[in-house]
Amino acid sequence: MIQPQTRLNVADNSGARELMCIRIIGTSNRRYAHIGDVIVAVIKEAIPNSPLEKSEVIRAVIVRTCKELKRNNGMKIRYDDNAAVVIDQEGNPKGTRIFGAIARELRQLNFTKIVSLAPEVL
Amino acid sequence: RVFSSFNVRAFLQNAEDVDEVFDDLFNKYGKVVFRRNEQRPSIAEVDDDAETLSFAVAVAKVASDVKAGDIKVLFVKPLVYWTRFFIIATAFSRPQIDAIASRIRDLGEKQYGKVPSGDTKPNSWTLLDFGDVVVHIFLPEQRDYYNLEEFYGNAKSIDLPFENQPPPFRG
Repeated sequence: MIQPQTRLNVADNSGARELMCIRIIGTSNRRYAHIGDVIVAVIKEAIPNSPLEKSEVIRAVIVRTCKELKRNNGMKIRYDDNAAVVIDQEGNPKGTRIFGAIARELRQLNFTKIVSLAPEVL
Repeated sequence: RVFSSFNVRAFLQNAEDVDEVFDDLFNKYGKVVFRRNEQRPSIAEVDDDAETLSFAVAVAKVASDVKAGDIKVLFVKPLVYWTRFFIIATAFSRPQIDAIASRIRDLGEKQYGKVPSGDTKPNSWTLLDFGDVVVHIFLPEQRDYYNLEEFYGNAKSIDLPFENQPPPFRG
């Protein structure tokens, strides 16, 4: 359940460390974003000497939430933090490697690129 | 082999006895190393997916017809569970990506009845997801940038029956 002002970790090596959600992309006036939603975020903290800088506005896909993700077979997946992967306008991830386990729902939402870079798919 | 239950902790407290215990076990049972019953050579697994393999090779052939560079078919089933084959190809311009993607889509629909999900508009990294087979079409810079072959370096590469052109030198 990510909403504007939520701080998220960054799950890739794009150069950003922490993002703050500004807006949820999709239907207008949407309250919360979940795993697989695209958000507009501002970089609050970045690694020095990286292509991304602090206070840059970028798009990101949410890949981990503390709110559990429910599946039709009754399984629930709950992570320990909120994290996102930085993405560009075309939908390609900006980093080259993803960290942490990724839920397979991202594949159905057309983020197979992130899934193919993930070390583990749950 | 059947293991009789030992109270291991009690034995480990007497360090001198441990070696004797283990030696006794070795003498009784021989050197038993756990072996997974289903261990097969990695090549055997490919035969299970003969249909998917033929589809993957057909897609690679279509890509080479359109002069895609450096086509690789990787057998990733032992590494990831969500797919069987990766096909990685390089295209040198966006119209070429479009051409490769539309030909692969037509091949999938007409001959195998599979509709891909993935990118509809050509992208510098275009992905077509056919379920068991995932096709990655890169522009040359993106291929180096993401370096999927290194990430899946443990995957077995499938030899393609046709001549694979190396990416031509573009000055």
